[in-house]
Amino acid sequence: MPGLSHYLILSGILFSIGLVGVTTSRNVLKILLSLELLLNAANLSFVAFSRYNGDYTGQLVVFFVMLVAAAEVAIGLAIVVLMYRNAKTIQADDLKELRW
Amino acid sequence: MIPNIHWNLISLETTITAVLALFILLDILIGKTQKDWMGNLSLVALFAMILMWFRGDHIWGQMFSGMYIVDSLAWFFKGFFLLTMFFVLVMTQQFFRSLEQRKDEFYLLLWLALLGMLLIASSADFLLLFISIEILTVSLYVMTAYLKRDKHSIEAGMKYLILGALASGLFLYGISFLYGAAHSTRFVVIQQFVADQPTNPMLLFGFVLIFSAIGFKIASVPFHLWVPDVYQGAPTPVTALLSVGSKAAGFVILLRLLFGVFAPLHDHLTLILAILSAVTMCYGNLAAIPQKNIKRLLGYSSIGHAGYLLMGAAAGSTLGAAAITFYLLGYLFTNLGAFLVIVLYFVVSKNDEISDYSGLSQRSPLLACALFLALMSLAGIPPMAGFFGKFSLFIAAVQNGLVWLAFVGAANVIISLYYYLMVVKRIYIDPPISAYPISVSWPVRLTLWLAMAGMIGIGIFQGPFLDIALAAVKGMF
Repeated sequence: MPGLSHYLILSGILFSIGLVGVTTSRNVLKILLSLELLLNAANLSFVAFSRYNGDYTGQLVVFFVMLVAAAEVAIGLAIVVLMYRNAKTIQADDLKELRW
Repeated sequence: MIPNIHWNLISLETTITAVLALFILLDILIGKTQKDWMGNLSLVALFAMILMWFRGDHIWGQMFSGMYIVDSLAWFFKGFFLLTMFFVLVMTQQFFRSLEQRKDEFYLLLWLALLGMLLIASSADFLLLFISIEILTVSLYVMTAYLKRDKHSIEAGMKYLILGALASGLFLYGISFLYGAAHSTRFVVIQQFVADQPTNPMLLFGFVLIFSAIGFKIASVPFHLWVPDVYQGAPTPVTALLSVGSKAAGFVILLRLLFGVFAPLHDHLTLILAILSAVTMCYGNLAAIPQKNIKRLLGYSSIGHAGYLLMGAAAGSTLGAAAITFYLLGYLFTNLGAFLVIVLYFVVSKNDEISDYSGLSQRSPLLACALFLALMSLAGIPPMAGFFGKFSLFIAAVQNGLVWLAFVGAANVIISLYYYLMVVKRIYIDPPISAYPISVSWPVRLTLWLAMAGMIGIGIFQGPFLDIALAAVKGMF
């Protein structure tokens, strides 16, 4: 029977994968995927805490977070499309126009 | 029983929602026109809201079982954000005159950002706080990437989105641990929990994550990396909104959390905050020196200002909190005045390079004078607002035994004076690149005069404004 700590460890692993993905990926789509992982790791820990604390707020939060994540990713993808149209690339390394 | 809801507490937010609905409807009905009806209507609606703000003063209370509160701090910052919105609207109207692109959606996004900021000022629950921050940042992402044929704008939008979403991921993960520890997302419950068990490991873990996310919002080191690129690439009105509105929103959250929810931890945080403040100031001001683009320069200077403001947070006293509030008020007029000049000059020159500002004083004495005063206020020259703001922050730091921090701050004022004066030299001494005078229409002139009156007025008559700032933060102590 898995306990609270198991869920928290899983969410910690997901969060770390997300963090590593955001910081090391070259492809913008991969970065967006990793960002989703971050939010979903937080969702998992919300639900786990909610279950083990016997309080429903955590599950409520998850619905809002899913909404926010959808909005964020929609805008992210829209910007990726714009980026591809203008520069014909979706590599994060190519975002280097702005520097001194 | 149906709970008694005091709708007047949330009147500003409901008005914005109504305005948004009306604009979407009118946009469909009217269709594409040359006239900037949405901008003018926005200004009218904003004036109505400012009147509502004056009428609603001193009606405090809470709604939605304590999730949404209106107190002196919330009300002060609601007024602050409305004023910011006024300047940004004026800038937007001017900025899009020079561009081909449709701008109606831009106004909708601005109103949405304003809604987010007003809700942030009133949040007393981490769920509401998270959602209102997202309303603000998501509309800022779109506005940053709004110039869809400009590769700088798109690049800035992409960078802002990636780092902003990373910050909200950290924030949310932090909240989940606070929720796990305290069994609630409500500020009051968590505050009680912090007072009972200040060393709970889950609580501390959540606290660190949440403060990293706030560090991102206020642009403090080590979460400042997005600032220069986004400030440079974003359309100038958005840069102005980021530098004043978004930063002030970050500081409202910081004030509420540091002096409210996590107040029992503050004694252990003084040194960390002081070091962060010193590093942020030095980084911002030193990195601003070699800049050639004025928006990028102001981006680095905005990092420097986050450092000064953190000084008040490190002090942790009533005076420290009041100094932050007072400083932000002066910063509003100063920075928005500077950005208004940048917008007006961009309309003429299509360029933000500092070298292009040569001889601005001969082409438009008003613009040159406004930019000169704004830069002096940013540097902190008496009798400008920036001087007295920095002065009160330094006093707050010294009173709480952070004398070394005040010295670092004073050294930074001198460093910053160098790069601000380099711009002033361009404006006043160098020969103009073109002999054409720049004309400024009278409503914009009035706005410029208002900004200048703010910078000088707050600096000269500090008393009443400091009283306002003290009254705003009094409720937290």
